[in-house]
Amino acid sequence: MYRALPASRQVASTSSRGAVRVVRRRIATEANPVPKKKKGVVRRIFWATTTLTGTFYFGSTFAAFNNQTYYDFFSDHVPLGQSMLEYAETHGWDKITIKDVVDTGTNVVVTTQRFITDTINRTPGAHDAVESAKRTVETKTEEAKAATLKIIRGTKARVEPVVTQVKTEVQETAQKVETIGKEQAQQVSDELASLVLKAEAALAGKPFPSDSTATALPDVVPAVDATPPSIAKDAEKHVYSVPLPLGFEPPPGFSRPAPPKKAEPEPVAEAESPLVIEAPVIVTLPLVAPSVSSLGESEPIISHLAGTIDNLASYLASNPEAASKATDVLEIAKNDLTALGERIEKSKLDERLALEAKLDEQTREYTLKLMELEMEAQDKLDDQQEGFRKFFDDERVKLAQSYREKLEQELKTQTELINERLKEEVIAQGIELQRRWIREIKVRVEQERGGRLAKLDELSASLKKLERIALDNSTYLDENIRVHALWSAVRAVTSAALGSPVRKPFREELRTLRHIAAAREDPVVAIALDTLEETDVPDVGVEPFADLASWFASEVAPKVSQVALVPDENAGVLSYLASRALSGFRFKRQGLVAGDDILSVLARAEYHLNEKDLDSAARELNQLKGPARMLLHDWLEAARRRLEVQQALDVVQTQATLASLLVV
Amino acid sequence: MSSTKPTSSEDILGQKYDRCLADLLVKSVGVVASVIFFRRRTWPIALSTGFGAGAAYADCDRSFNPARIPGTRIIPQSEVKQ
Repeated sequence: MYRALPASRQVASTSSRGAVRVVRRRIATEANPVPKKKKGVVRRIFWATTTLTGTFYFGSTFAAFNNQTYYDFFSDHVPLGQSMLEYAETHGWDKITIKDVVDTGTNVVVTTQRFITDTINRTPGAHDAVESAKRTVETKTEEAKAATLKIIRGTKARVEPVVTQVKTEVQETAQKVETIGKEQAQQVSDELASLVLKAEAALAGKPFPSDSTATALPDVVPAVDATPPSIAKDAEKHVYSVPLPLGFEPPPGFSRPAPPKKAEPEPVAEAESPLVIEAPVIVTLPLVAPSVSSLGESEPIISHLAGTIDNLASYLASNPEAASKATDVLEIAKNDLTALGERIEKSKLDERLALEAKLDEQTREYTLKLMELEMEAQDKLDDQQEGFRKFFDDERVKLAQSYREKLEQELKTQTELINERLKEEVIAQGIELQRRWIREIKVRVEQERGGRLAKLDELSASLKKLERIALDNSTYLDENIRVHALWSAVRAVTSAALGSPVRKPFREELRTLRHIAAAREDPVVAIALDTLEETDVPDVGVEPFADLASWFASEVAPKVSQVALVPDENAGVLSYLASRALSGFRFKRQGLVAGDDILSVLARAEYHLNEKDLDSAARELNQLKGPARMLLHDWLEAARRRLEVQQALDVVQTQATLASLLVV
Repeated sequence: MSSTKPTSSEDILGQKYDRCLADLLVKSVGVVASVIFFRRRTWPIALSTGFGAGAAYADCDRSFNPARIPGTRIIPQSEVKQ
């Protein structure tokens, strides 16, 4: 990788250099084009995909812990994302913060620095210093490596078409190479010198293995230029295969045995040079590989180079026509190589000194830088902390503000809602109250109306009662008047019919009485009066009691006593005459005497009449039969009439009395 | 026979007595006939007085008891019931 960087620079630098490199590339591509290409592409793709995938997964994991949405996306949509996150969580990656990273970085840096200083102190040699510096640089310049990797890839990509072009041209150029070998060799030597210089200069920022390869490369290149493309290709293969994966993980086996390697380039060069020199001198071209085999174990590149030279020699041997040309070229190459070796040695010494100085300077610089970085990181951290705190405070304040606003809004809405509800409730209550009031008023009105109506009813009832009372009173009065009238009429009739000393008719009085009695609708009175009125008694009148009594005593009683002895049936003139004749001889009985005979009956009647008991007298006389009854007929009639009238008037009078009693 | 003024019931017997006497007087006509026809002979006087007195008695008796018609008999209620 770091080898590639200068290479790319070279490509971009000048056309002359580019030409050299084109040749080199041509040679490299010609050797074994297909397998190298394939391998390189596959490896590149593999490493690229691995790196990209790794970067993506690790970066995504850390990004997922910082971003929730990306976390969801990553766990849901990316294959193996979930398991990756789980693994990260179990190992606590999500807890890693920038500060942790910085801390660990600083720790690493500090430890590395300590280690470097320790190693420098322990072995003041340039190589140790270089190594430590290299390690520090390694750790420091990871970003730069990544960038370079990219650049290398880009340049490779750019170079590849050139390489292919070169491949096509290789056949033609192969012949040309021999013709212009001298110039090219010279150029190459110059180029190599400059390359070596550059490589040495770049040693400060390069891992040791790369350095060793880089140093090996210039050594190889002169041979390569002179030798067939396969050798160069092999060397190139070595060059590319080692650094690419090394990128940032140089194989420890390569980096560790630094001191022997460091020492080696010179012997290699030395070994090479005699070998190369030998080759032109001894046209037979003895094999170099066996002689270098002892060295090949420790330094594979040398053995490789030897192999290449051998191959070249064999090639030359196989082509004796070209041998004469090749010998010249080889000779020139040998001379160049020796000069190169010297120059390399010299330049190496210079380089070492410069490198040491540079390393010291760089150590100091990087220490300073480290400190600076540390300080900066600390400051940054502090700043960040401050910033975070401030941000946190601001956020808190902002959040509090926003929440307060939200709360206020909520409160406002709530209060509005409550107010609205209250209003609605108030309205509803008002309606309810109004309804209730209306109902109450209605009820009250109804009650009032009911009360008034009740009062009115009461009044009407009392009025009715009064009316009733008045009516009753009037009826009482009427009744009284009627009773009174009845009484008057009855008294009038009584006085007219019974009380008068002479017999006189009383129809007028009776009619009046009857009218008055008819108003009262008394059935008993009506019947009594009807029976009385139907007869002709009112027209004739009734005998007064005094008349009846005298009539009985003076006329009826003596004549009846004369027929007292007459039998009831079949009585002839003789019996009458006999009774009349004998009646003069009988004793007149007086008083209430017992007996059924006519005389006794007469005596009792007379007694009753004396007692003014017409009724009893009439009853006594009514018991008589035969001629006596015939004689008493008229008197009895008169007495009965009187008694009838008397009885009827008694009934009326009793009714009148009853009516008067009922009225009150 | 009856006067315009009706007699009282107790006077019926006296009236009958009066009528019987008047009848007897009227029926005893022999004295007048003896004087006129029998030139003062006695026997016509006694005979006619007898006849007259008898007829008058019968009439008088009938007036007192109207049921005493010759050839008839009044059956009393007790007998009828039996």
